[in-house]
Amino acid sequence: MQQLISQADVVEAVKQAAAETLRIDAATIRPEHSFVQDLGLESLDFLDIDYRLEQTFGVKMARHFFLEHAEDLFGEGSAIDADGRLTPQALELLKSRYNPDRLPDLSAGLDVDQVSGLITVNSMSEAVLGILNTLPEQCACGASAWKNGEGRRIVCGACGAPGVYTNGDELIRQWLTEVQAERNLFSA
Amino acid sequence: MPSYAATVALSSDNDMNFNNTVTLVTGSSRGIGAAIARAFARAGAEVVINHRATGGTSEARARELATEIEALGRQALVVPADIADREAVRTLMAAVRERFGRLDHLVLNAARAPFKPMERLLDRELRDLVETNFVGQVRCLREALPLLEASGGRVVFISSLGSRFYAPEYPLGAMKAAMEAAVRHWAESLRPRGVNANAVCGGIVRTDAFKVLRQVWDGLDRLPDELCVAPEEIADAVLFLCAPESRGVRGQTLVVDRGLGNRLRF
Repeated sequence: MQQLISQADVVEAVKQAAAETLRIDAATIRPEHSFVQDLGLESLDFLDIDYRLEQTFGVKMARHFFLEHAEDLFGEGSAIDADGRLTPQALELLKSRYNPDRLPDLSAGLDVDQVSGLITVNSMSEAVLGILNTLPEQCACGASAWKNGEGRRIVCGACGAPGVYTNGDELIRQWLTEVQAERNLFSA
Repeated sequence: MPSYAATVALSSDNDMNFNNTVTLVTGSSRGIGAAIARAFARAGAEVVINHRATGGTSEARARELATEIEALGRQALVVPADIADREAVRTLMAAVRERFGRLDHLVLNAARAPFKPMERLLDRELRDLVETNFVGQVRCLREALPLLEASGGRVVFISSLGSRFYAPEYPLGAMKAAMEAAVRHWAESLRPRGVNANAVCGGIVRTDAFKVLRQVWDGLDRLPDELCVAPEEIADAVLFLCAPESRGVRGQTLVVDRGLGNRLRF
């Protein structure tokens, strides 16, 4: 658990990245805003925001959504059915991953195209923070002397090496593997 | 000798004259497509801007581009249509016919694909890959053909180096290769109908795809500026392939990559 970059810092950076991509004033973006529904973002814009955040923090954001990873790990059709609807197992994953208060009524199921609408400034900030929190206790040089470097990047106070993190995709796969081990949602 | 920056700034400022012609560029709300639409407008053409999704940033950017083109004294028509959707493609061509009554240049630029190794694509993703990037292109050509035939029109497909070189997690490259073959086919099959087709194979452009590719392609971040293509350079090649000066060129793919493809290392 790194302590150098706060959640507020990350939220600010996400707002800034979104503002640059959308060419709007960052002050108009709120943490609870949905990128797709409130800010009109499209899939290519997510790449742009991810790119900016990666440049800001020196991390690698996930390139694939957790549902795609679930399909990859547990087989085609396990998370998204042939009609593009989320399977009951995928809905369970969704409830575990997002604040239930912010989820729509799932009783009638959900179309995969609606899922990107659930991504908010807050949820993306949590994803960034999750990656930053994989910063190991020690640098490869052996020192435990992480400090804030240029901008919002963490560097080793002893050797100057940049912080090394688990990438976003790997983190999602770890999470899915843990959920599966605990709850066995997807039968073999 | 102008500097690199000056060279880029000067691009698309050419003498080609496309007055009284109409150009449709698919996928032209941003990136290379937008640069091509802008270049045609500067050269005098009326332009049809196409984008896929409505209500989002593509639509906003398409409208901004239309305003920019209109400020040049040219007409711009924005038509949303997913080229993978047969009916949407019909509606797109009907809108062109209704507004302009002609089409001289069809630039097939729209593309959409996931970034992952081809063998890991799910069936659904594989179908989407082919449906948008091959079937959708053929449908655009087919639906535009009556208009192109009437004008002795030109078709230019926008390809990429992925058609001939391996790029990690870039299954789109296989579709680009298929389309380069389709262009060769059309150049001959459409000859009797007075329509010509060619392709421009763009090198590494620092657009959205680059932002993903650099994650899986070690060292791509270190690609020197002089080997990165500006969208305007691709646009100029497209203009050439639609101009009378290229009348002897049929079914070819013109590589515009600043020489990157000549090298084994950079």
